[in-house]
Amino acid sequence: MFSTSTQKKYWLFADESELLKARSEANAKFVASHGPKMTEEDRNELLDANEEKALLKFYELQLRDFCRRFEPPMPRSVAGTAFHYFKRFYLIHSVMDYHPKEILVTCVYLATKVDEFNVSIDQFVRNVKGNQTKAMDIILNNELLLMQVLNYNLTIHNPFRPIEGLLIDIKTRGTMVDPERLRPGIEDFLDKAFLTSAPLLVAPSQLALAAVLHSASKIGENLDIYVTKTLLGDSSPEALASLVEAVRKVRSMIKSMETSPKEVIRVLEKRLEKCRNQENNPDSEIYKKRQFEALHDEDEKYGLDFPSLIMSGDLKLGEGIFEINKSMTSP
Amino acid sequence: MDEQACPRCKTTKYRNPSLKLMVNVCGHALCDSCVDLLFLKGSGSCPDCGVPLRRSNFRVQIFEDPFVEKEMDIRRRVMRDYNLKEEDFANLQDYNNYLEEVERIVYNLTNNIEIVSTNQSIDRFKRENKDLIAKNRIRSGREEIILEELLEEEKILVESRKRAIAHEEMLEKKKKMRSKEALIDELMFSEQSAASIVETFKKRKLEEQEEMERHREPSPPPLVAATQFSTGIKFSQRIPKDGFLPVPKEDDTPLFKYEPLVLTRNGPSAPTWEEVTEKKYINHVRESSVVERAGGYLPQLACLRALEEAFDGLRTVAVARWTGQVA
Repeated sequence: MFSTSTQKKYWLFADESELLKARSEANAKFVASHGPKMTEEDRNELLDANEEKALLKFYELQLRDFCRRFEPPMPRSVAGTAFHYFKRFYLIHSVMDYHPKEILVTCVYLATKVDEFNVSIDQFVRNVKGNQTKAMDIILNNELLLMQVLNYNLTIHNPFRPIEGLLIDIKTRGTMVDPERLRPGIEDFLDKAFLTSAPLLVAPSQLALAAVLHSASKIGENLDIYVTKTLLGDSSPEALASLVEAVRKVRSMIKSMETSPKEVIRVLEKRLEKCRNQENNPDSEIYKKRQFEALHDEDEKYGLDFPSLIMSGDLKLGEGIFEINKSMTSP
Repeated sequence: MDEQACPRCKTTKYRNPSLKLMVNVCGHALCDSCVDLLFLKGSGSCPDCGVPLRRSNFRVQIFEDPFVEKEMDIRRRVMRDYNLKEEDFANLQDYNNYLEEVERIVYNLTNNIEIVSTNQSIDRFKRENKDLIAKNRIRSGREEIILEELLEEEKILVESRKRAIAHEEMLEKKKKMRSKEALIDELMFSEQSAASIVETFKKRKLEEQEEMERHREPSPPPLVAATQFSTGIKFSQRIPKDGFLPVPKEDDTPLFKYEPLVLTRNGPSAPTWEEVTEKKYINHVRESSVVERAGGYLPQLACLRALEEAFDGLRTVAVARWTGQVA
């Protein structure tokens, strides 16, 4: 149940200002710990909280498209879970600490496991463009980290089942003609909602209600009577007021959602490459050296020395994980 | 096996691993053939330390270290006199002091420290607690006999079971052989065709098997050790079965009481199971196929779950503040 879940206890925040606090804290922490280690010019490249936000929004779009194009077809709840994980992760860590590209795939992989949409790692990386073995390594190395950052709160309550419940209720107790007409509007609304911070601020049933109301208003129907009388007929007026407030919050967030143009994103990405935490960059020398040291003790006794082969260049790892689809249309 | 060799004949130990080492009160070991040689007369002296020994004092060595054997010997001797139990003491402190005293004595005697004074304290103790020692000796004697009787009974049970199983197997084997021979005889001497003979035999075998299954003979009751005279008077030392067993303690823990689950739902309440069908919610849910219903799935389940999730949490007001990194 949502009311007794960790999602409500630990991951539902009062309003956007709290989220902003969290993100700026993560950013500041990274700057404080890594700033001094970087050269002067790299330090100018450090991203601030707003730029991180823009980048994250871009990568959330990527996440959505990755899930949409997934083979075999991925149920929406898995995508929803992955979104939640992604948002939560970047409340704790800065974008420069762990690159969103890597965390993105790890979130989706973990979500498939948690939501019982079983996909083997091979099948999974087949959906990833670019070097697939490298992607596999990245995902498997990051999985435990992701779980730890989420504090192992892995159960996510998504708004999809509440939508179904509300529709059943409207069909039974409401007076609307053919509530099935609401579905396209609902889907559209929820898609947009997942790109905002709404899932971290309202309960999934409230999100579902907001979607239903929005869709209804789009086709010109009015469900207010249903909401006040039937749905909350026996509750106090304060409850009604808070619910209305929540719904209004969500709708305003969606309306004010904006996306940055592609060129800005590209510039930010370049800057990210320069200022990111190299210890977590699988392409960097430091990372490779660390892996080398970790593996070296084990492999030596078998006479195989893959790390040194890689270092000497005889064995090559591919470049880049996957290429961003250049022909991205606006959402 | 022992890497040690007998100190006298050294060679014989390696060649014959079944040769056992015997140890005496002085702690030095000898293989049993050497014991025979040296103690032909009945008494002699230890080849290592020259202490006069008797042949009867030799015991089969259990531990590799003769020092341990010596200590075990001494301990056994001491414990024959120092056999007081916890109940004989006023408080725990006294009992512990007594135990420490025992250990001190054993240690001294084993390591040849202050032998004279130690023996004196042993004699003193014996004199002071003569009746307690005697009483305990009788009590322990009784317990030992009871244990022995129990062990005897167990052994007899196990043996009789083994015998029964062996007997059954033998019977089976004999039967099989007999039927085989009968088949061969028939094939040789009868005038019917070979196929029909084989058929009849097969049928008979199946019938026999079914009969066996139906009348499984109860195994004969295992022989019980004789514990009573034919008149019914028991002559074992054991406490009778319905004797003075310890009184079972009163269990004061509260009994389990079922309390129905209380769900905190931050929203309007969902309909109950019956209402789902009565009020026609169910009409808007896909009907379950026969296959699904066989697995226990009913459409009411899905309907109720959707409705509950829709209503749960509608009145939630998020108040959490960001307080720093989670974990």
